[in-house]
Amino acid sequence: MDGFEKLNVVLQFGLPFLILVLAYFVGSMIERRHFRNLRKREAEASGYPVITFETLPADWTVGSTGLVSGNVVVSLDYFKRVIAGLRGLVGGRIKTYEPLLDRARREAMLRMIESSRQSGYDAIVNVRLETSRLANSRRDGDGVAGVEMLAFGTGITLKNRRQA
Amino acid sequence: MRFIPKKVDDSVNVSKEHPLVEAGTLVIGLTLIFAAIAAALILIVDLVLLFVSPEREAAMFSNWLPDGIVAVEEEDKRVVALQALTTRLARHWEDSPYEFRVEISADDDLNAMALPGGLIIVTSGLLDSVESENELAFVLGHEIGHFRNRDHIRALGRGVVLTIFFVAISGGDSVANLSMTISDLTLRGFSRGQEADADKFGLELVYKEYGHVAESWRFFERVGDEDNALIDIAAYLSTHPSPEDRVARMIELAESNGWPVTGPVVESEGY
Repeated sequence: MDGFEKLNVVLQFGLPFLILVLAYFVGSMIERRHFRNLRKREAEASGYPVITFETLPADWTVGSTGLVSGNVVVSLDYFKRVIAGLRGLVGGRIKTYEPLLDRARREAMLRMIESSRQSGYDAIVNVRLETSRLANSRRDGDGVAGVEMLAFGTGITLKNRRQA
Repeated sequence: MRFIPKKVDDSVNVSKEHPLVEAGTLVIGLTLIFAAIAAALILIVDLVLLFVSPEREAAMFSNWLPDGIVAVEEEDKRVVALQALTTRLARHWEDSPYEFRVEISADDDLNAMALPGGLIIVTSGLLDSVESENELAFVLGHEIGHFRNRDHIRALGRGVVLTIFFVAISGGDSVANLSMTISDLTLRGFSRGQEADADKFGLELVYKEYGHVAESWRFFERVGDEDNALIDIAAYLSTHPSPEDRVARMIELAESNGWPVTGPVVESEGY
């Protein structure tokens, strides 16, 4: 086997594998850090009312209202993508995607809460979550660049803060 | 109404299973499933082959030339000479159902192929490197040996069936490309047992034609000497025995059959 062929074999099999291993380690490091960060911020935000009611409870007196939102775009790492591809052959839960969407949902909620706090609202009601797929920049439009998670609701100030 | 904050379990939405466990299960499980299906398909091809007679195969593929083979001009005198040599050798296989056709592919690799319908393709690289007609005769005899054992159609059938299989399961994404490459490496060409049988028959043809088997394995000795630099390893050596083993086996074969290993050698002029 001459040098060129060896190089070819290395490029064909070694490189994708190396990227896979690298993607796994980098991806799970980023994921662990993000979860730690989320737990910390969620603890800080835990006293802040975030409610899915469309109508206010009768005893709440609202001062002012406004739209608040938080959104985030998440993407897959190569490892998750490959495992999900294999999963797609046999079906079943794509477990590698679950932490990703969980992170996206919690991050979007936290951003919404943080923006609502900055605007001086006391609570958020009628909270909704939406996702949309962002198409890849590939010419055939195939594949997914990432998923957007949008959390939005109505920020309200209360006349008497102790109501909430 | 009061809002009472509660600590929420933040792990319900994420599976407990470690991603590497999932990856391992999927990779091993799918590999086993693919291997089982591939083995079943290979078996089916071998079964189907029992029902396609060599005569029928020869008729079906009588004018066929695979895509991607750059054939040298038909009037080329090398093709004529090669065809004559093949016909002379094939005469010694008395009940051959094939009418052998020879084409030269303009390719620097050292290779010869047996394809359905009695088509033998020799690369111009191989023609340039042979140093006597006897060497070339053995290469042709070896390919004719594949026809006798019908290895060529077995390999083609497997290749086609496995390609369809891999395209079907994956629709051509990256996972599929990987499995395609692996199947190419492992299943293209013939097994070592098939190669040994073809060597035996090839040597017999050479003996019947020349009365001796001198220089039959010189080609492989030379290739071995040159440290295989000219040979496409993946396509050739992975399925062929190593040149040294092969030469040793051929010498043994010649001795046990009483075929003389020396004799007048014909020049390779004209090939």
